[in-house]
Amino acid sequence: MAPQQQTMFRSADMSMVQLYISNEIGRECVNALGELGLVQFRDLNSEVSAFQRTFTQEIRRLDNVERQLRYFYTQMEKSNIPLRRLDLDAETIAPPTTTEIDELSERSQSLEQRIFQLNDSYETLKKREVELTEWRWVLREAGGFFDRAHGNVEEIRASTEDDDAPLLQDVEHNNQAADVERSFSGMNIGFVAGVINRDRVAAFERILWRTLRGNLYMNQSEIPEPLVDPATNESINKNVFVIFAHGKEILAKIRKISESMGAEIYSVDENTDLRRDQMHEVNARLNDVQNVLQNTQQTLEAELTQIAQSLAAWMILITKEKAAYQTLNLFSFDRQRRTLIAEAWCPTNDLPRIRTTLQDVTNRAGLSVPSIINEIRTNKTPPTYLKTNKFTEAFQTIINAYGTATYQEINPALPAIVTFPFLFAVMFGDLGHALIMLLASLAMIYWEKPLKKVSFELFAMIYYGRYIALVMAIFSVFTGLIYNDVFSKSMTLFDSQWEWDVPEGWKQGQPLTAKLKGDYRYPFGIDWMWHGSDNDLLFSNSYKMKMSIILGWVHMTYSLCLAYLNARHFKKPIDIWGNFVPGMIFFQSIFGYLVICIVYKWSVDWLAIEKQPPSLLNMLIYMFLQPGTIDQELYKGQSTVQVILLLLAVIQVPILLFLKPFYLRWEHNRARAKGYRGIGEHSRVSALDEDDGDGHIEGNGRPSVDTDDGEGVAMIAHGGDDDEEHEEFEFSEELIHQVIHTIEFCLNCVSHTASYLRLWALSLAHQQLSVVLWDMTLAGALTKGGVVGVIMIVAMFYLWFFLSCAVLICMEGCSAMLHSLRLQWVEAQSKYAEFAGHMFTPFSFLTMLEEDEGLAEFRG
Amino acid sequence: MAKGYSIFIGLVIVAAFCLAAWFLSPKGENQTTWRSSLIIAFISCYLMWFITFLAQLHPLIAPRRGDIKEGYQFE
Repeated sequence: MAPQQQTMFRSADMSMVQLYISNEIGRECVNALGELGLVQFRDLNSEVSAFQRTFTQEIRRLDNVERQLRYFYTQMEKSNIPLRRLDLDAETIAPPTTTEIDELSERSQSLEQRIFQLNDSYETLKKREVELTEWRWVLREAGGFFDRAHGNVEEIRASTEDDDAPLLQDVEHNNQAADVERSFSGMNIGFVAGVINRDRVAAFERILWRTLRGNLYMNQSEIPEPLVDPATNESINKNVFVIFAHGKEILAKIRKISESMGAEIYSVDENTDLRRDQMHEVNARLNDVQNVLQNTQQTLEAELTQIAQSLAAWMILITKEKAAYQTLNLFSFDRQRRTLIAEAWCPTNDLPRIRTTLQDVTNRAGLSVPSIINEIRTNKTPPTYLKTNKFTEAFQTIINAYGTATYQEINPALPAIVTFPFLFAVMFGDLGHALIMLLASLAMIYWEKPLKKVSFELFAMIYYGRYIALVMAIFSVFTGLIYNDVFSKSMTLFDSQWEWDVPEGWKQGQPLTAKLKGDYRYPFGIDWMWHGSDNDLLFSNSYKMKMSIILGWVHMTYSLCLAYLNARHFKKPIDIWGNFVPGMIFFQSIFGYLVICIVYKWSVDWLAIEKQPPSLLNMLIYMFLQPGTIDQELYKGQSTVQVILLLLAVIQVPILLFLKPFYLRWEHNRARAKGYRGIGEHSRVSALDEDDGDGHIEGNGRPSVDTDDGEGVAMIAHGGDDDEEHEEFEFSEELIHQVIHTIEFCLNCVSHTASYLRLWALSLAHQQLSVVLWDMTLAGALTKGGVVGVIMIVAMFYLWFFLSCAVLICMEGCSAMLHSLRLQWVEAQSKYAEFAGHMFTPFSFLTMLEEDEGLAEFRG
Repeated sequence: MAKGYSIFIGLVIVAAFCLAAWFLSPKGENQTTWRSSLIIAFISCYLMWFITFLAQLHPLIAPRRGDIKEGYQFE
């Protein structure tokens, strides 16, 4: 069977393959497949916990390297070093070799140590620096205290009249330090000097006062500049304090209290000279420390700058390597642990590519043992793989946002490429707005590359949908022309089919009614004579309402037909006869008939045949309420036709209800009677498996080995309850399911048709809004003359243009898009799409790197 | 110029477009996408034009307005 060309119509044919890869080249193979990105591996060790898997050691090691790299990154952020980001589009990084990874891990190990050391010494130095600065402040401030204290001492001493004091010194009065010292020690007064956090000063003071019962003399002053706390890198305001007290014990107590309050105590000499020396020393040391600090900082920055050049690349290498090992962890071994065995889903069409890729890796490694890739048969549901390109990607995303199509089901995104933007355009029809939108989307497509880098989320979203916007804008141009609306004004592209019927003696102010110019009709769109007329809305409402019904009917009929194609593809004739045909007859006999009536009524010249045109809405209502009676006849024999159609529709309901469940029961019983046990026929979702329909299944539901199949290989995969297909046939369940389906279908025929009236409502709203906007802004300005007129026109133009863009294009466009999305998701897709698939998520480095949140700061 | 039978002329033109879209779509992986999109687009556009044209073919009401200025009544 030659594989068919892959198209967007259905999801790609998938094959379950088994890979036998020699243990030595397992890593290389996984890397190559990761670059290819077409293989989704199954977990063959699901019962093994993450810690017990084969390559946990390697992953741990890589985790460590990743942690180190992240550590570098935080260091870089700390010192504001820019990181050279990696542009994934421009640069590709070949999968690393083992030695490269080893080197990288060693290198990052040593780098981490080095940076750690540098950081460590930097912090120590910083701490030293802060200490020295504090000390300097203490020395400087304490000087002042001592000078003041000195005066006190003189007083104190004078009052105590110490007899031992030499008389001469009393006379000298020269403030000598020796003198003070002697005087302090003589009086047995000691002091404690230090620095304390400014917030704690009050508490500190209070505690000291209470514990020492006031036996102290405390001096303090604020340090004007904030100091840096080396531990937290925050700046703190601190105060210098000097406490004088009497007695050793009290001083010891003060020290203890200060320490417990987090104050730093520094030794200060009483002697002014010594203090000066201390000051010099401290200054010198501070200088040294600052020099060293600067050097350390520079070295650290140089080191980090160098790392910044290649950090992103390293990060990506490590991420890739980790992903490869995580994938390898999904594999199982043969008994001798020499061959890796993997099971994977891959697109059937791409099998040759995968095969050659593996071959290449084996050849490059120079191994004599070939890597084997084997297609195996399975009754597991294959994943849905919908290949997209730049253009279809956004459309597919819209559909996938609703659900994942069942494997091989018709891809709803294919018709959505046109129907979604077209229904949008029906609501958005205004040539002017459409052209602005067209220009915007064309600009986004023209500057595709540079704009891709914009990370502003709202814009990124619009940018992602640029092709949708393009198609929407193109259709809006068309519908704008049809509606003959340009910013709420009309264009006189062709001759009107109307002319004013001017009676004799007509004066300005009297209403005029138009008459037709023979059998000429306005060729394209709505006649511009309607624009601005008094009964414009009367005409356009009737027109747009009918158009909504017709478009809705076409859309839903088309979607129903896709259900037929689906049923035929999955070879389920009962879905055709039990669902599609009765459903179609039901729908057409009511709404198809309505549409035919609408078109027929339009095509009849009611004035010429001098008959009263019937109201179609009443006709439809009375078709149900009083079948057989007609108010005003649309055509001959109408009542008979309507009764027949109604009967036809009513008969479809029991057919819809019962045909499918009873048929399924009959089929099931027949199979049972023939001796088949277990279920294999209906639960097969894949149509591919139909050709070996006799694939038997063991009683416990495990897929058995298909021995008579040439390709049949014993599956290592244990039953895996996760995606087991088989369910016992239950008639009641089937019946309930069908009852729900029938009720839903019949009610939906009505409600969905009504739902399409949103096309009318939104297009009317859009048109009326733009009329109002014009009248409120520019229309007023255009009637003014002179300078005022000029200024007003300019100002009003900006107002009008801005509001047009913001309200009519952005907001209205957004709402029209949401409504169109709903019509696509609910009204159309509910007719044919099942959405019971699971997405194909291949192991691909590219998508992995693009989607990894942790790598966001490393990507360009 | 444009009379009732224009509907069928339009139909022929659009059918020709659809045929052209079917045969001229670029070959390859995206042929189905091209064909389906173009044909649905042509049919949708035709439908819209057809509905608009038909709605004005035998109009039941005529435009009426009261704010026509002197001298513009023959436009």
